Amino acid sequence: MSNLFSLIQNENMKIYRRFGTWVMIGLLVLASVTGAIIIKATHKETNDWKAEVAADSNNIRKILKDNNIPKIQKDHLQKQLTINEYRLKHDVKPMESNTFWGYLINSADIISLVTLFTIIVAAGSVASEFSWGTIKMLLIRPASRAKILLSKYITVLMFAVSMLALLLMISAASGALLFGVETIREPYLAYQNGAVVETSMLAHVLQVYALNCADLVMLATFAFMISTVFRNQSLAIGLATFSLFIGPQITYFLSLKFDWAKYILFANTDLAQYIDGMPLVKGMTMPFSLAVLLVYFVAFNAVTWWTFQKRDVAA
Amino acid sequence: MKPILQLKHVRKDIGKKTIIHDLSLDVFAGEVFGLLGPNGAGKTTTIRMIVGLMGITSGEVLVNGVSVTRDFEKAIQHVGAIVENPEMYKFLTGYQNLVHYARMTKGVTKERIEEVVRLVGLEHRIHDKVKTYSLGMRQRLGLAQALLHRPSVLILDEPTNGLDPAGIREIRDYLRKLAREERLAVVVSSHLLAEMEMMCDRFAIIQHGKLVTIESVQELSQQTEKVLFIVEPKEKAAQMVKAHDPHLDIRLVDQGLEVTIDYKDIPRLNAMLVAEGINVYGIHVLAKSLEERFLEMTEGNEIV
Repeated sequence: MSNLFSLIQNENMKIYRRFGTWVMIGLLVLASVTGAIIIKATHKETNDWKAEVAADSNNIRKILKDNNIPKIQKDHLQKQLTINEYRLKHDVKPMESNTFWGYLINSADIISLVTLFTIIVAAGSVASEFSWGTIKMLLIRPASRAKILLSKYITVLMFAVSMLALLLMISAASGALLFGVETIREPYLAYQNGAVVETSMLAHVLQVYALNCADLVMLATFAFMISTVFRNQSLAIGLATFSLFIGPQITYFLSLKFDWAKYILFANTDLAQYIDGMPLVKGMTMPFSLAVLLVYFVAFNAVTWWTFQKRDVAA
Repeated sequence: MKPILQLKHVRKDIGKKTIIHDLSLDVFAGEVFGLLGPNGAGKTTTIRMIVGLMGITSGEVLVNGVSVTRDFEKAIQHVGAIVENPEMYKFLTGYQNLVHYARMTKGVTKERIEEVVRLVGLEHRIHDKVKTYSLGMRQRLGLAQALLHRPSVLILDEPTNGLDPAGIREIRDYLRKLAREERLAVVVSSHLLAEMEMMCDRFAIIQHGKLVTIESVQELSQQTEKVLFIVEPKEKAAQMVKAHDPHLDIRLVDQGLEVTIDYKDIPRLNAMLVAEGINVYGIHVLAKSLEERFLEMTEGNEIV
């Protein structure tokens, strides 16, 4: 009976009418602005970027002469070399972090803060209704449990997207203010099919943001699941943040020894490894990772849905 | 008359334990119906099943003929409820809480919200945060959210819990008014018999998850009752009563005479006493007999 839009409106009201939410928003803005100020204050200008690029290229050539290096690494270095040559030939300066675009790319590191905040919101979404006792008021309305849960999940994702948009905007604004916008027309050098092409820098920034979102979505979904299954916000925050910070390390150590590490969630959340890095385990590809992520995503949601639908609401 | 709320052979198992056994009852429009039983008898479980918070192991609950399990959204739109305490979002104002619940049902206008706020007498504090409310005000706000969508069944779990005597009286009068004037079927639960008597038209006694009996308050009080006549002089009055009807069971107590008599015979006995020049200061139907029956029915166990 009640429509999804109204339910989402309700969920948003419950998020943004709370003081804690605004503290998180404030911290995010602060992180983005401070990041720009710190870079402005500490960055050292390179005197001659051409000499540096040339030195880097020579270094790469030396390594490439060694035939024992694995093919993956070889491809990666080859790509680097080609781009370096293109830079020297067409006079395209490497992007530095004290430029408008450079800072935007760097700001993608702050996404882990967005992930943390989204985990907190996701963890509270269902669990708080139980701890406040309001779940008893919420579930006796003409709205199915599935619809209520969906509205909560959508609201969590909306929160994440809003935070990302805010981060991007604040970073762009502070970048423009502190570093200027003279370099805004510079292209991004992408390596496609053995050749270097100049592409839109904005598209590249959005791509970096998007690739960084895999663990954001996965961990928010994970926290949402724990929150629903155990009805305990602290547990959900704890488990999800522990996974956020420790998961990748553990996965890395496991991947050194075991091949099956590639099926672990955190081996696949860093999608940027396929764009300008090296896969964690040999043989991993972007479609493989996307498939693994999809399986985890469906599993988390299935558990959440099933528990919320079936379980009795007792004191 | 068609019942608005029907429970048909409702049973609830949790694990291997049966919490509710074969519970059947009908509640009609315009009456206040009570669920009476000691703590842990299964009142709250029953209410949770009616409003769909708990699954029903077997049997069914019908609201206006619609099954709560099969067509939840359609059945529940006619139900307003407070399950246990009226928990609200404390960081929102009372008004925002009501807007929240109004959005979840079709057709609740801004005017309706304001109407309900006036109805429960919260108009001066409705824009304050709920965390500043007293328990009584939270009860009122709880009542407001339950009435928002003009339900035909109102279910309140221990509605007088934590209220002061004035508050209890107010809610009692209010529930009766809703039943009489708005033709609502009101279901209340309590572990206090006296409260049930004052509030309800009928009540079910539940113990150990089983329906012991359904009593009508009026019927009960119209049966043979122990009546206290506060009279002066007592001895003379006792003689008079004995002469009037030797079969009556009379007992002299401090305040006067305790007579076990049919409800309908009370005025006649009183007229006789007055005619004989006895000063009658008061006549009290002693609820005690009801209490005794309740104790009897629940085997005197753990009433409170």
